[in-house]
Amino acid sequence: MILSAQNVIKEFTEGRERVQVLRGIDFGVERGEIVALEGPSGSGKTTFLSILGCILTPTDGQVVIDGVRADDRTLVDIRRRSLGFVFQQFNLFPSLTAVENVEYALNVKRVRGRGARAEAERVIEAVGLADRKNYLPRDLSGGQKQRVAIARALAGNAPILLADEPTANLDSVVGTQVLEMFRDLAKKENRALVVVTHDPKVRTIADRVAVIRDGQLAA
Amino acid sequence: MSVDLATKSLLHDKLRFLITVSGVAFAVTLVFVQVGLFLGLMDNASITIEHIDAELWVTSHNTANIDFAHTFPESYVHRVRSIPGVARADNLIVWFMNVALPNGAVEGTEVYAMEDFASWNMPWNLAEGRLSDLRRGNYFVVDSSAAKRWGPFAVGDYREILGRRLKIIGRTVDHKSFTTTPLTFLDYRLAQSLNPSDLRGHTTYVLVKLAPGANVEQVRAEIRRRLPYNDVFTRDEWAKRSRSYWVDSTGLGLNMYITVFLGCLVGIVVVAQTLYTSTMEHIREFGTVKAIGGGNRDIYAILGKQAAIAAVFGFALGAVMAYAMRPVIHGIDLKLVIPPSLSILVFLGAIVLCLSAAMISFRKVASIDPALVFRG
Repeated sequence: MILSAQNVIKEFTEGRERVQVLRGIDFGVERGEIVALEGPSGSGKTTFLSILGCILTPTDGQVVIDGVRADDRTLVDIRRRSLGFVFQQFNLFPSLTAVENVEYALNVKRVRGRGARAEAERVIEAVGLADRKNYLPRDLSGGQKQRVAIARALAGNAPILLADEPTANLDSVVGTQVLEMFRDLAKKENRALVVVTHDPKVRTIADRVAVIRDGQLAA
Repeated sequence: MSVDLATKSLLHDKLRFLITVSGVAFAVTLVFVQVGLFLGLMDNASITIEHIDAELWVTSHNTANIDFAHTFPESYVHRVRSIPGVARADNLIVWFMNVALPNGAVEGTEVYAMEDFASWNMPWNLAEGRLSDLRRGNYFVVDSSAAKRWGPFAVGDYREILGRRLKIIGRTVDHKSFTTTPLTFLDYRLAQSLNPSDLRGHTTYVLVKLAPGANVEQVRAEIRRRLPYNDVFTRDEWAKRSRSYWVDSTGLGLNMYITVFLGCLVGIVVVAQTLYTSTMEHIREFGTVKAIGGGNRDIYAILGKQAAIAAVFGFALGAVMAYAMRPVIHGIDLKLVIPPSLSILVFLGAIVLCLSAAMISFRKVASIDPALVFRG
């Protein structure tokens, strides 16, 4: 299993109260598997994705990613080495062109120079944006921005891709195109993909659907 | 090569970049002008000492600076001349005198009087006239800067000094004193005859030139032994003493330090504020850097580079502005001295200033929660 979470509990403090957002979740994803993570608003799915993405640490339980247990010492390294993110708001750097956005992510992963540029161009081409590679994000449509974001996640061969509502800001047709492209690229390169979504279309590309309700995985 | 997010992000918002650079430039210009003016004044305070070709200066006891001289018997020069290791020793009178102007006003002048100016490289920049003519009658040479106080004059004109009509036979350039009183150059005996009550049989300084191979300290010790009621300074000591007098007695140094401090403070506040605002506006981007695997060090590097770029551009703009002000300042008879060492110091100061300002943003980004990238 490329990613596993065992008895993950997450608590937050709100005022004087402790609120348990995740209540002991066990979860795993195989290499090449696509999992849709669904649930109503406030169910804890984004919090769970943040823990899987080593952005948050669980209050209790453990997460093992690509053979490394996530803790305070390993979080940054795991994010750099093993994870690729796609965000609902795209989160592209507005001052960088499409290809530079991808190349910068590689630089952060300590891939530099011509190799980084070649890899960035390869993935930009893979998401169908070769002719838009030198455009700034402001000059791209929503779908194109999300493709750049996907290219950024794919760059560097991270074995696990995590996506948070990747179609939320796209219209239906573009959303479907982006999902299909995402699925094809993930499958082709045998990467695990976890997609947090409200969008029923995601079910069509997923191998499995997991539903979080009230901080627990529903059966 | 890596993608230069720091530079591209900084230049992406050109107006903010301009404001940041302007803040640094303002601080740099202020420091250049304040310190430059200070150095210019200090330069004037000791400019004659540095040009006069004397290794040792014999002064009356506790003379504070070259302008405020006190008298002692001129015959002391003979005691100095007889000391082994002294190649030449001459009297020099420095004295303030009044000048009656054609319009009826009375102005001051600072007289330098010697028997043989040429042997002491004084004056060092004679634009018109001949020094040797000074000894031929009631003549004097005056610095061009006198026109500001005295009104226009030309070689051949007459002015009344202490009631005697003297002819201007020459003009010097850039001979100034800290007091801004115009310098005039007279024959030694003529100066004494203008103010006999103070100067007859008296001088204010003995200039000493050493023989080749003479030991300065030995000669100085012997002068001190023979003239126990006088002081003896090397050129550097005397120049420093003259400058220090003005710095300490006028509060000029404190004034400069306060202005430089305020200039730096304004610079830091402007840069810190714009960098911090920029950081807050780009907080999501920094969160993204963290989410995709970057650490605080990656973000510090971005902020540090942006601060350094602002420092370099701000320094360049500030230096250009300061240099552009030089002719204007020169036009009001002040000097703006910007030595290379000051430029290097101000450049390093600008870098430190901007990096210090960026520290506030460092603290902010260290606390960024990368989970913010998931918020809609």
